[in-house]
Amino acid sequence: MAQVRLTGIAKAFGKVTALDAMDLVIDDGELVCLLGPSGSGKSTLLRVIGGFETPSEGTIAIDGVDVTHLPPERRPTAMVFQSHALWSHMTVHGNIAFGLKLRRLPRTEIRERVEKVLDLVGLAGYGARLPSQLSGGQQQRVALARSLVIEPKILLLDEPFASLDQHLRERLRDEVRDIQQRLGITAVFVTHGQDEALAISDRIVVLADGRMQQVGRPGEIYAEPKTAFVAGFIGAMNMLDGTLAEGEVVAGGLRLAAEGAGPARLAIRPEDIALTEPEDGRTVTVRRMIDFGSHVVIDSALADGTHLRIQTDKTIRVEAGERVGIHVEQWTVFRDGEAPSRYRSDTVRPFREVRRYA
Amino acid sequence: MIAALRSGAMGGRLSGLLLVALPVALLIWLVLWPVLQAMVGTVYFPGTGFSIASYTYFFTDAYSLRNLWLTLWVTALTSVLRVVVAMPIALYLRFRTGSIAALVQALALFPMFVPSVLVAYAFIRVLGPNGIVDTVLVALHLPKLMSPYLTPAGPIIGLVWDGLPLTLLLLLSGLGRVSIASVDAARDLGAGSWTLFTRIILPRIQSSIIVTLAFNVLGLFSAFTLPFLLGPASPEMMGPYMQRTFSDNADPLNATTQAVITFAFCAAFGLIYVRAIAKGRKGTA
Repeated sequence: MAQVRLTGIAKAFGKVTALDAMDLVIDDGELVCLLGPSGSGKSTLLRVIGGFETPSEGTIAIDGVDVTHLPPERRPTAMVFQSHALWSHMTVHGNIAFGLKLRRLPRTEIRERVEKVLDLVGLAGYGARLPSQLSGGQQQRVALARSLVIEPKILLLDEPFASLDQHLRERLRDEVRDIQQRLGITAVFVTHGQDEALAISDRIVVLADGRMQQVGRPGEIYAEPKTAFVAGFIGAMNMLDGTLAEGEVVAGGLRLAAEGAGPARLAIRPEDIALTEPEDGRTVTVRRMIDFGSHVVIDSALADGTHLRIQTDKTIRVEAGERVGIHVEQWTVFRDGEAPSRYRSDTVRPFREVRRYA
Repeated sequence: MIAALRSGAMGGRLSGLLLVALPVALLIWLVLWPVLQAMVGTVYFPGTGFSIASYTYFFTDAYSLRNLWLTLWVTALTSVLRVVVAMPIALYLRFRTGSIAALVQALALFPMFVPSVLVAYAFIRVLGPNGIVDTVLVALHLPKLMSPYLTPAGPIIGLVWDGLPLTLLLLLSGLGRVSIASVDAARDLGAGSWTLFTRIILPRIQSSIIVTLAFNVLGLFSAFTLPFLLGPASPEMMGPYMQRTFSDNADPLNATTQAVITFAFCAAFGLIYVRAIAKGRKGTA
């Protein structure tokens, strides 16, 4: 069992509050992503768990043992750093064996464990090479192997694939997920990439300005954001400032059913907007159509000029300047200090015959 | 098109040559030519021909050898002491931030802005006979300590203080190549401070230490002001020895011979420096 429990964790650097009153329990074998923009406090939180920063307030317990004031070397954690942090004067074997040598294990055991972990990360036979003789992806695998070989209870990963290209990043994140599940190790993964977080994690912790915005499963965070920040940060979202009155929210010329009164923010996912015939009600003017191959995104303008992003079927073709009708299928209304209200339209309306490629 | 590119490349090469021409000309005029002149002037004498008598004299004269030995000893000890004293400060400044680190840095670099003559007289006022230390000891009814003034320890203390800033800056530049993440990674795996220093930091800054030592040796071997003002009269370091031979003894031949020998030692350390730089560049490539 390897459970991490954070209770009232806060961290201040001088007058700047990096983390504020955080409570979180990470269960055994769980992979939790800390997701947020730069400066949100996600790396600081990871460093607090790893022992590289001491919290200003609160406690950290691993398996019920208070480790708040223990240095990194005395915690059952191991960190994989963004910059690989490999020691260039040591071979791959030397890098991976470093932690085992410090534990004074017999030489034969060190060799066996290094070979085993190299095999695990797909680098069998690379032990004699220097880090400079490896590619970026291979270097990050060595960094992962170096952390895994000491068999930590908690694996901490600080944006490990940030310096790698998109394809390699996707491949490695799948490999890391696979290794984490095979070993059943608890892992905390810091990223600012929402796709990465949605793809890899059991749960996501969304952070902003040193505060937890929402904790939940990836699908839940995407479908039911609790704050306007989470709604805007996770996935594509149309965020419109509007006003609630008389059972409606009015934003950017759009009128949708909603309860309450006063200022509000209307959030609509691009894929929750369907195209309809122009005479069928609300209309937008097409500004640009972006063909992503798997789907089409239409950048459009409402009557008052507000931009609206629409995601639709890959076979649909529209022209710039064309007026099309829209039908909003789901929307969320955010009001300060209140829980968000979610609405769904029951009406399904057909769009014209799709225009296909010639 | 190709012709235009070629003429552009030619222009770039020409401006590059012009940029290096002036320093190379100055180097030849102010350093290489006098060195050559001195070397030739100590072995070739118009009318009588070649002779290495002045070198034979230097290497058979007990006093000259004692001076050379003292210079080597003071140079080696001072160089090592500078690195030993500057290393903890450099490590602190590399891995710590904040107002205390800024204060430490300012204090450590302060000697750079103090002329050597002032350092020497401050040293005499503090550590010399009847200086501040003696006065305090007497006021506390404690026995006086033996003053390092006019002993080999005098120039060593003065030179360590005087050369600390340059040593610190060179070490800091080397430590800049050791990322904080690589140190954190070692700590994370269980490395203590000593292991961190010996197995992670030291191997990465080897070439910087060699460069620092070479720089120190080059400056110390021919140091004059502090050894002259704080050091013993006999034996004496090569700097004061050369000056005294030249002006007091009015013996330019032997003074030049001493200068050539000093230059030869410095050139040897210069070679070590160049090799260390080349190795460092290869390491970063």
